[in-house]
Amino acid sequence: MNAQTQRLAVMAAVLVAIAIGFHVLTGSFLTAENLYNIAQQTAVVGIVASGMALIIVARQIDLAVGSLLGAVGVLMAWLQYTQGWSVVASLFAGLGFALVIGLFQGWLSAVIGIPSFVVTLGGLVSLRGVAFLVADGKTQPVTEPWLLALGGGLDGSLGERGSWMLGAALIALIWVWQFVQRRALMRAGGTPDGKSGLIHGVLGTLAVIAVVAVFNAYKIEGQEQGQGLPLPLVIWVAVVIALGFIAKHTRFGRYVYAIGGNPDAARLAGIPVKRVMIQLNLLLAALVALAAVVAMARLNAGTNSMGTGMELTVIAAAVIGGVSLAGGSGSVAGTVLGALIIQSIDSGLLLTDVSIGWRMVVLGQVLVAAVVFDRVVQK
Amino acid sequence: MTALLEVREARKSFGGVHAVDGVSLSLAPGEVLAVLGHNGAGKSTLMQMLAGALPFDGGQLRLNGEAVKFASPADSRAAGIETIHQKLALADNLDSVANLFLGRELRSRFGLLDDAAMRAAAVPLFARLNPNFKNIADPVMSLSGGQRQVVAIARALQFKARVLIMDEPCAALGPAETAMVHDLIRRLSAEGVGILLVTHDMPDVFALSHRLTVMKTGRVVGTCRTADVTEDEVLAMIIAGKPAAACLPA
Repeated sequence: MNAQTQRLAVMAAVLVAIAIGFHVLTGSFLTAENLYNIAQQTAVVGIVASGMALIIVARQIDLAVGSLLGAVGVLMAWLQYTQGWSVVASLFAGLGFALVIGLFQGWLSAVIGIPSFVVTLGGLVSLRGVAFLVADGKTQPVTEPWLLALGGGLDGSLGERGSWMLGAALIALIWVWQFVQRRALMRAGGTPDGKSGLIHGVLGTLAVIAVVAVFNAYKIEGQEQGQGLPLPLVIWVAVVIALGFIAKHTRFGRYVYAIGGNPDAARLAGIPVKRVMIQLNLLLAALVALAAVVAMARLNAGTNSMGTGMELTVIAAAVIGGVSLAGGSGSVAGTVLGALIIQSIDSGLLLTDVSIGWRMVVLGQVLVAAVVFDRVVQK
Repeated sequence: MTALLEVREARKSFGGVHAVDGVSLSLAPGEVLAVLGHNGAGKSTLMQMLAGALPFDGGQLRLNGEAVKFASPADSRAAGIETIHQKLALADNLDSVANLFLGRELRSRFGLLDDAAMRAAAVPLFARLNPNFKNIADPVMSLSGGQRQVVAIARALQFKARVLIMDEPCAALGPAETAMVHDLIRRLSAEGVGILLVTHDMPDVFALSHRLTVMKTGRVVGTCRTADVTEDEVLAMIIAGKPAAACLPA
């Protein structure tokens, strides 16, 4: 087991301990309903955090994600509600706006050389202003049923049968992937470690079955069928799989880690550092646009305050998930655990009637504790 | 005979400072040319220019008699010049295999990284350079100085470099590791690779180089066959900038 896997295992154990702890305190934490809500609530932060992980790995930061999410969300809702655009056109317009902002910020930091902290601190303030200006501060309701379904809730899930089908597809994917990797290694003359592949396959299979079973067990009153996997969770998982794959198996991903490990070495090795940095900014911007769609669907509206303060939760999720702010290390998978840990503590404290003040005090120190933990383990 | 690599009147200045001021040198296949000088003599700047990391302000670079211009480190590498920078230019968080192929990754037919193929190529290569080098899957930050040097040198072998530029290759290495690097340099030279050895270290110079060039304040003091000069004469060239009798003014 390498250091990265070990850290993920520790974080998973911490998450389980938190869940059990709150269940003992409240008696209602480990219920299908609560887990369903946590999964839905975490998805928006989780989608952005998976991209933020790569940004931080490359020694950058993006403080503007929350404001960009607000601006994009309001823009999409305003185009639909006030301007009468079709839903699809408005979503593409929102994506286009996000990409232009990503290109601009990426260009400023990668080509002109302005620290990303400064560029995106400016973006944090300005884009929140944009979120207000788009609809003059007025809330823009959205009504399209399929769009609202992307936010989860009563009608926004796959249902029992759909969830099992997706689960089966995921399990097949896990085993095919183990097989493909094994074959590639053997073709290159290596000897595969059969046991490790088997363990990964079995753990993955059990995790998928457990998750599907839990969400299928959640029945809303008056419904015959269980809810199954909420759509925000499905989108989040798809994003994590895609980004995890990009990080590990594409040249772009390798370069992001190389730049984070040693920017000079990356440049001297002939890596097109500026181009990679701009692509990375575009990737995060696209994820923010996707997260904005989910957030808007959850709220049934676009408001100028959506995503406020989210940048800090996203960065905290990445850091708790094992991404080092010094750059060069961390994983996309870790951000899933990081985001779930934050959301679980927040929800758990809410269930135990802890006041908002104390919740903030605790959440802040959890972030600090995660970094302290890393420091201690490193020594 | 055409030189493998020839630098003519190379110039580079930063603001008003002439870091490299009309330097000429040439390198034959299989030759080890030591480039010496104080800190600030312009050695490292010249090497960065040859590596494509800094553009020439003036002068010319010729490879096998043909004038070439590098816009980036990738161009220099594509022309067969491999550079081992003083700070080794390794990504510390990646493993040896990833560093070996950094910037030139092997890819499968789907355009994805072919880690298995890269590993398969790396294992025998590292084993040939250093039989004790087993932990190739560890991040290079956990390797010893000698192992890190092996990773850097392995790049030259894997990509069949014709010219190898080494900036202080034995600085910060222990005696056993220094001996290993010396051995590697001799082997590469025997295979016909031209080597530019930038160093402060007199034992390195006299053990390895066929010729030496001394630089001071951006200019060449003198170039001569290593066998024709003594260590004291070389030191006098470095410190006082006076060419030894055996050294023709460049």
